[in-house]
Amino acid sequence: MSIDATLVAIQGTGLARAITKSNHMVIAGLQVAHVFGLLLLLAALILITLRLLGWVLLREQLSQVIRTPVRMFWCGLALVLLSGAMMFLSGPKHYFYNRAFEVKMLLLVLAVAAQVPILRRLADDQAILPPVKLAAALSLVLWFGIAVAGRAIGFV
Amino acid sequence: MSYLMGIAGHIESSTFGTAVAESRYWWPIIEGTHLLSLTVSFGFILLTDLRLIGVFLRQVPLSDVLRQLRPYVLGGFAVTFLSGGLLFWSEAATVMASPLWTAKILLILLGGLNALYFELVIGRRPEVAHDHAPLPRSVRFAGMASLTIWTTTIVFGRLLAYLPR
Repeated sequence: MSIDATLVAIQGTGLARAITKSNHMVIAGLQVAHVFGLLLLLAALILITLRLLGWVLLREQLSQVIRTPVRMFWCGLALVLLSGAMMFLSGPKHYFYNRAFEVKMLLLVLAVAAQVPILRRLADDQAILPPVKLAAALSLVLWFGIAVAGRAIGFV
Repeated sequence: MSYLMGIAGHIESSTFGTAVAESRYWWPIIEGTHLLSLTVSFGFILLTDLRLIGVFLRQVPLSDVLRQLRPYVLGGFAVTFLSGGLLFWSEAATVMASPLWTAKILLILLGGLNALYFELVIGRRPEVAHDHAPLPRSVRFAGMASLTIWTTTIVFGRLLAYLPR
């Protein structure tokens, strides 16, 4: 099945039709959920990265500092993926052929692939070596790139 | 109100306001900055609220957490206010016509007053300033009020782009 046919098939599914036909406030609600997810996720990662770089809450134990932020990260990720997927359903072709969306998805795959092992390492509570700190900082940059690319979808 | 709308019209049609509104790059850049700065301003006030409520870093003295998070909250808010002000400059009359905008501004004032009341009154009570456990209920209330106010502010801000004007 070609890409176009797949996109059209997605567009024709019951859920996609329901979202497309719904009141425009449903899409607005998804946008609100998407922004909240992003804010939770990024706020959590900023705090974790600042702690790793030694800028904040340095005297407190790492495992103690990151417990709540790690939960915020997972909640935020679940929110952005769920709301994002539903927004995609509302216009598969519109999103798929948008350059900013393409960049955003590429960055998303990279960021998730980098972030999960980093968080797993932090949970071990062993000494955090400089390469892990650098990786955490770089992956934070990736997440910021995702936010910027997301904003750009409406402008390109 | 019509007097205010007149002023808003002048703000919006000023050279700078028009330049931002019509620029292909400045509008998205300022809007992006507004969003990214929220991750620090809203994000760190959320973490502060979670400490006040007793969810985040409960074992660490409150004054310690507040002292360390405060610079980020204030720095983040400075950028949020500045970028928000620039966005307002370029569409003053348009957004002022929406009741959501008025509600958002009132919420921001309320959130600011709540924070000031915490810093100047609740936070200076001896049992709070010297971290005597358990902290008074007013600390929890201030945290929950802040959480509610700022969350609603974000919701209204995002909906501004969707509601008919």
